[in-house]
Amino acid sequence: MLIKLNGVEKQIDVDSDTPLLWVIRDEVGLKGTKFGCGKGLCGACTVHLNGVAIRSCITPVSAIEGQSISTIESLTSEDGTLHPLQKSWISHNVPQCGYCQSGQLMSATALLSMNPNPNDDDIDLAMSGNICRCGTYPRIKAAIKDAAKNLNNKNAQAMGHLAYEIKV
Amino acid sequence: MMNNEMSKLNSGLQLKTSRRRLLQVSMTAAGGFSLGVMLPGCSTFRANSIDDKGSWSANAWLEITPDNRIIFTLDRVEMGQGTYTGLSTLLAEELDVEPHNIDVVFAGAQTSYRNPDYGLQLTGGSNSLSSSWPQIREAGASAREMLITAAADALQVPKDYLRTENAHVIHAGSNKRLTYGSLAKLASKQNPPSEPTLKSPTDYRYIGKQNKRLDSQQKVTGTAVYGIDVEIDGMRYAVVSRAPWLGARLKSHNGAEVEVIAGVEKVVEIETGIAVVASSYWKARKAQDKLKVEWERDEDAPLDSAEISELYHKQAHADDSDSKRSEGDVDRAFEKAKKVLEFEFDAPFLAHATMEPMNCTAHVQDGKAEIWTGTQAPDIAQVAVAKVTNVSLSDITIHNQFIGGGFGRRLTQDFVAEAAEISYKAGGVIKLVWSREEDTQHDVYRPAALHKLRAAIDDQGLPIAWDHHIIAPEIMDWYVWDASPAMFPWAPKFMYAAFGHVGLLTAGLTPATPADTSAIEGAEDLPYSIPAIEVRHTKADAGVPISYWRSVGHSHNAFAVECFIDELAYEAGRDAFEFRRDYLKSSPRLLNVLEQAATKGSWGREMEAGVHQGIAVHKSFNSYAAQLVEIKIEGNDIQVLKVVCAIDCGLVVNPDIVKMQMESGIIFGISAALYGEITFKDGQVQQSNFHDYPVLRMNQSPEIETVIIPSEASPTGVGEPGVPPIAPAIANALFQATGERHRRLPLKLT
Repeated sequence: MLIKLNGVEKQIDVDSDTPLLWVIRDEVGLKGTKFGCGKGLCGACTVHLNGVAIRSCITPVSAIEGQSISTIESLTSEDGTLHPLQKSWISHNVPQCGYCQSGQLMSATALLSMNPNPNDDDIDLAMSGNICRCGTYPRIKAAIKDAAKNLNNKNAQAMGHLAYEIKV
Repeated sequence: MMNNEMSKLNSGLQLKTSRRRLLQVSMTAAGGFSLGVMLPGCSTFRANSIDDKGSWSANAWLEITPDNRIIFTLDRVEMGQGTYTGLSTLLAEELDVEPHNIDVVFAGAQTSYRNPDYGLQLTGGSNSLSSSWPQIREAGASAREMLITAAADALQVPKDYLRTENAHVIHAGSNKRLTYGSLAKLASKQNPPSEPTLKSPTDYRYIGKQNKRLDSQQKVTGTAVYGIDVEIDGMRYAVVSRAPWLGARLKSHNGAEVEVIAGVEKVVEIETGIAVVASSYWKARKAQDKLKVEWERDEDAPLDSAEISELYHKQAHADDSDSKRSEGDVDRAFEKAKKVLEFEFDAPFLAHATMEPMNCTAHVQDGKAEIWTGTQAPDIAQVAVAKVTNVSLSDITIHNQFIGGGFGRRLTQDFVAEAAEISYKAGGVIKLVWSREEDTQHDVYRPAALHKLRAAIDDQGLPIAWDHHIIAPEIMDWYVWDASPAMFPWAPKFMYAAFGHVGLLTAGLTPATPADTSAIEGAEDLPYSIPAIEVRHTKADAGVPISYWRSVGHSHNAFAVECFIDELAYEAGRDAFEFRRDYLKSSPRLLNVLEQAATKGSWGREMEAGVHQGIAVHKSFNSYAAQLVEIKIEGNDIQVLKVVCAIDCGLVVNPDIVKMQMESGIIFGISAALYGEITFKDGQVQQSNFHDYPVLRMNQSPEIETVIIPSEASPTGVGEPGVPPIAPAIANALFQATGERHRRLPLKLT
């Protein structure tokens, strides 16, 4: 079976009903995606399927064959540059035990890619499927808002430059 | 068998301990852990030594390599509470190294890493910072002095002309900078100072100032390695089917049929059930579905929650309680009382529900064992392995990892024993992973507790006597069996059971075996100045496996005490805050946090329609916490909108981590206050996963504001003290909202 993980195609040999989570973790060997509940209830296993957040623990690998999957490992660029949300997570001191944070970040990046300027309700809606037993919710919320603000400022600046260039 | 033995032992112990104990029991930072003992002659420092690569081990915690890597062996596990950052900061301060330049490695099991408060290598009881406060600073200061002496020798200058900065010794006069690494060899030849000089607080560069966590980068990139992420060559995956009924034993199974399924390698019987070993986790799980197992039920095992509650009530009426505190003439106060208030408070069993389910990778071969896991007690893990294999303690290596939530769950080593036994019997390296359902249904639970509270009220409406009767099990009855042998690593295995028996029989009688205060902590030290006080305990153990759960006895005692105090305030016609303030005059630090929370949270302000305040204050793990909540009721839904928390935990090393721990404790505590409940029916746990054992989610999470009280007192706990006040604060707000008292956890409006 062929899977496309973080832009790389991989041939894997597993039972077709194997949840994507275990393929990512134990066949491909990317351990950033976590096992929490096995029922899609906690969000620790969140990855992106074509840019949308899904729970990999209840997604049979056969269902995503050939489609594009991204994991927490894809957020950091090859030169080590962190995603703006990762940076915001660090500056807000979000992680405690850290176990759920890969899933939290994958839900948050999916949110911002769909909605660059989420309000509190948007954030609650997108993030309430991700449980954190350490209770980092208030900081996650602040980190998302902060990252969105910075991204929007950058985009606004970029737009400003563009407008200037077009005008010139 | 384990359970039968336990219950037999428990009934024996009930006789033994039901006499009124006259011993004055002192509270320690140990909180619930009462095995506390300072072993005589327990060396603080590993021998100062240098290896053949020129890498200098200055002491048990610090290694400096020739290329100036500063390696810190962290002996208090990182499970979210911040030891990785906090203890590194202590070393950084005294050694003069930037905290982020320290490489942290996790300690294996070794007697030099024993927690001095317990005599065991145990992380729990919120004492990592307080117990390491002298140790790690001295470790850094000692090495720094040796490095300076070495540099003075090398440069032929007086020591006074040298200073240190970020892993360099600097001679200002000649502008020479020597790395610590270059001095390692010379430093190793110095004698460690007997009393290294510690910095004056006014010179602190990092303590009290360091705010960033040092483990964040790993945790936001998915590169932090937890027990479940460990990958060892040739590793196979194991899952275990355990008895669905408390105390049931394996009778028969079709393991031979399952063993021939493709991908399955072995099916082996172990102490706790039957294990399937396969080439992948998923294959092991699928094969497990094909297992048909018959169990032999234990007829004495508890059947359901109602029966357990009945047992508690029966024990309460037996009137053989142990007095834990007796002040003033309680009997006379009740005789002359104008009115007596008498209520029961109930707290249920609770699961820990760590995000990382229990797991362990084990390799037992040729009389040696290697264990990779996240454990809060590596030396107790060794005992757990020794008991189920032919391996001696000294041949068991523990590779500890980042921990995806502890909350006390990983103090119990059942998952380590299972993995070791599977590897021992099936051969090879195996990784055991529990499902969420197994994690929920085979936990060692926060004990259920029954509280009977009475107050004698005089004709002014004021309390003249307080009588608190706690009916709950003692955790040490369960924990002692693996923990006590870990204190005597030289002992042969046949003595293990004897250590447990002796530990329990002498509890409270010797300095090495203090009494188990897990049931009464936070109740016996009632801080309110009521003229007559009686606090009593009756042991009631239903045979449900129990252990330490974040804040232990404080988690239910604070609920009973702080709710009842609120009722007394109401009875007196007084404001809940002012009444507490009047009765807390002899506890200035508690009084201070109470006032700070009330002021910051604007206690008594005019509220928006439908929003109600509640307040509670509690001392635990030597820290003082007060919380003011604002709640709103929608339908039958209790919403916690805002929490203002004031915390006095002595000197603060990392202010933001203190805030994080308050937020964490509050949210953890709200989950328990509003939803947490493990119930039994027909001998089985009824909850299984997050749908029926719900925990707080972001949309239910309040806004939290934390005020830290500035203090120069020695640092005290932060991991747990945020938990106890929140449930009573919410319950007290609920009374404001509904006019009805809710005395049973979790708080429900239906």
